[in-house]
Amino acid sequence: MGLMNCNQKIALVYASVTGNTGAVAEVLTERFRAAGFLPDVYEIDHFDINKLGRYDIVIVGTYTWGSGEIPAEMQELFEAFEELRRPELVTAVFGTGDSFFAEFCGAVNRFRDMLYVHTNLAATLKIELMPQEQDLVRCEKFVEAVVRRLVEADEKRKRKAT
Amino acid sequence: MAIDSPLTKIKLLNPEHPNKSTGILNGKSSGLLNWNDIAYPQMYDLYQTLLSNFWKAQEINMQDDIKQWDHLTDTERDVFLRINTQLASLDSLQTPTMTMAMDYVTDSSFKAIFAVISQQEAVHNESYSYILSSLVSVAEQNERFNQAKSDPVVRKRNDLILDAYEEFRQNPTPQTLFQLGINSINLEGIYFYAGFAFFYHLARQQKMLKTSTMISYIQRDEMQHAYFIGQFVRILLTENPELNNEENIAYIYRTVDQAVQLEKEWAEYILGDIEGLDLDEFGDYVEYLANKRLRQLGMKNLYEERSNPMPWIQVFGDDMMNGTKSDFFEQKSRTYSKVSQSNGFDEL
Repeated sequence: MGLMNCNQKIALVYASVTGNTGAVAEVLTERFRAAGFLPDVYEIDHFDINKLGRYDIVIVGTYTWGSGEIPAEMQELFEAFEELRRPELVTAVFGTGDSFFAEFCGAVNRFRDMLYVHTNLAATLKIELMPQEQDLVRCEKFVEAVVRRLVEADEKRKRKAT
Repeated sequence: MAIDSPLTKIKLLNPEHPNKSTGILNGKSSGLLNWNDIAYPQMYDLYQTLLSNFWKAQEINMQDDIKQWDHLTDTERDVFLRINTQLASLDSLQTPTMTMAMDYVTDSSFKAIFAVISQQEAVHNESYSYILSSLVSVAEQNERFNQAKSDPVVRKRNDLILDAYEEFRQNPTPQTLFQLGINSINLEGIYFYAGFAFFYHLARQQKMLKTSTMISYIQRDEMQHAYFIGQFVRILLTENPELNNEENIAYIYRTVDQAVQLEKEWAEYILGDIEGLDLDEFGDYVEYLANKRLRQLGMKNLYEERSNPMPWIQVFGDDMMNGTKSDFFEQKSRTYSKVSQSNGFDEL
């Protein structure tokens, strides 16, 4: 598609306790690689929040327990996006949860609503516990949506430049 | 470690050992718990989540249900009481079983979580009594409990679990503890759901909503218990690779499948006369449920992959469960308006 994907700096930052969100992060990392990207993958505890501004694309992954609060370890990242002032940053958020709760993947919803206001949100993805066969297809679509958004953003920039 | 060699009850205090245990079984551990220095830090999150679920039956006023009780059909009343006592029987087993596991688990943080789970099972047990006391006489309550004890279908399904629990009680080894874990997942993660389906089905018709509110609290707790036991089993198998053998993997699939068949059988027996509950659909639901439990153990689905066929079997939202919601995790962040696909992104 004429994009120099490798020049786009992409971070995938996630929190996982039982390993479900981590498993999705792995699938997505592999799909991004297949699409020509080299994502920097971080568990939230190992991510330096100050480096958020260096990326062109940030993919957020969060688990949800209970009725949908953001996990404590993701709170700082949430606030960093609010203060970033980079509306052109392409973002997407994924997560795992349990549909037995009234709000399925509530933490994904919280990030979605915030990222929509402060960044260029491309996609959201919710998965019940460990990913199943059909979830792999949805992971694929998630990556496609991010790539599509990048192409659009790139074209917009070019139009502006001319 | 030999998986069939007996586990010994651990001493309360072993001052020469570290506070941070070297293993969940046969580990070196002083017996003292400092939550800031534990082998699996995620256990602290689990512990806090369990505590934030705290509730008690008396906070729920049964007046509305008492008024509605006389308007239920005879069948509904009969099934209501039978399910109530049957669920109470399951919880009665679970309370002492969790404390039994505590005697042999060497990691103090896991012991603490077993203690909280045991306490919650006691609360569930009490809540069934509280519901009964609002609706029928003590004589009828006792009659219903006796019915639950002698019912052959109930006995058959309980036997599967009881055999494993008793086996561990008589002969505590790593192997029997593993089997206890799997059966505990079946009890908490599968056996409750025909009962839950019945109460939520009444709730769909705006009947007995106070009872369903309690059921919602119970379901929320049980979900957390199933997560914990799932993690416990996974850690047990990782720390003790001898347990992670083909035979035990086959044991998990076989035992979960037995629980699934027994739950379907129970549903047909107890819910057969309830109008509007599709038992074929419930059969699919039980399989969906079992797939979830297996994935929580890091295993593959045993049944056809499907999305939740009965999404209304669900913990009530916060609006229905206010008053007892803990604010441990209350956050100060600003609120955003809800956006969706129509705002121009892909929701997958």
